[in-house]
Amino acid sequence: MNPIASELSMNDLNNKFFEIMQDEGVAEEATNFIYESVFDDVTVGFLFEFHHGLKTGLTELIEGEKEEEDVYKIVNSPECDVFGFSILKKTPDSNCSCPNCERPVSATRFAPHLEKCMGMGRNSSRIASRRIASNSREPTSYAGLLSDDEDDADWAGGSLQNERRKRRIKNNNNRKPNKLHNGNSRNNNGNSNSDANDGGATYETMTANEKKNLLLQICGVVSEHTKKLCTRSTRCPQHTEDQRRALRNSVLEPSTPESASMGAAADEAGSPPDSSPSSSCSSSSRKRDRHKAPPKINKRNKEPANRD
Amino acid sequence: MTVNNTIAHQRLILSGDRERFKELLRRRLIECGWRDQVRMLCRDVVKENESNQVTFDMLVTRVTPRARALVPDTVKKELLQKIKTHLLTQKDQ
Repeated sequence: MNPIASELSMNDLNNKFFEIMQDEGVAEEATNFIYESVFDDVTVGFLFEFHHGLKTGLTELIEGEKEEEDVYKIVNSPECDVFGFSILKKTPDSNCSCPNCERPVSATRFAPHLEKCMGMGRNSSRIASRRIASNSREPTSYAGLLSDDEDDADWAGGSLQNERRKRRIKNNNNRKPNKLHNGNSRNNNGNSNSDANDGGATYETMTANEKKNLLLQICGVVSEHTKKLCTRSTRCPQHTEDQRRALRNSVLEPSTPESASMGAAADEAGSPPDSSPSSSCSSSSRKRDRHKAPPKINKRNKEPANRD
Repeated sequence: MTVNNTIAHQRLILSGDRERFKELLRRRLIECGWRDQVRMLCRDVVKENESNQVTFDMLVTRVTPRARALVPDTVKKELLQKIKTHLLTQKDQ
């Protein structure tokens, strides 16, 4: 082919070209052929360019290192946030088990939990000691029926502690009557009723002056459910100004039937006056419920061991 | 047949029109992003053979078939149309 082409003169080539171009099909085929040839040239040109860049390091200089896109990809899975971190707050290794109740506790909540569980800290010690008191009170009353494997010395100590606890509870009672819910406190009823300050909570045993002083300091509205006084400030949000005014009117008026019946009801209840509204009741009972929970868990923990 | 093709090709080269078409195709391929796609193919080839040297022949044999398929139809049609009309209008001279 090439020899033929080279042998042709420019004139011959033109003549031949016009001759073959008469045929449409030949023109079509020639077009494809030329296109392929041109395309190959262009491709090879680009490849030369790339190869040159590659070998001389130009490509890397111009385009730089390719970025790792995986690092910045937005993670779209339910357990992770967009950065791919786990959204689960508690990881297993941050759990400590409480030495007292053996419940797993998050490390960040461990100190508060210990405070509650073992009774360290101001409020918690009261709660815990009361809890212990209520647990140990039952056995002491049936001391004669107890099994022999209980140490006598311990019991003596226990009752001593009990006395101390009772005293402390009584003090609490005087200071904050609403903290008292425990059956334990019933033992102190005789004492506390004779206490002027304590009895005052019923309005009945108070002198007019005492009532006045008391009502200047506290809200004093008698709760419908607990029949107790509200010991919050005079601006307590739970009761309305109208309620307070009505109560003051009825209480400061001597020997109104309402106040008398109120006092009687409070006495009838037999529990020491508790002016707390239902909220404090429920909160402390909740606390006690929480403290009751651990033994259940312990039992569950022990079950597998028994089975084994 | 091949002789005819060669004649047409030869005449196109002599008239300098082949160079024109080549430049046109080159520009079109850059415009449509084909060159960048081919460059990515080349990178892939380089990545695959990271251990041994990448030769130019290797690039040609690996990339050319895929590059040919990547050419947009519009560009190819335009080129074919232009070459054909060029060839057919030549004969009238």
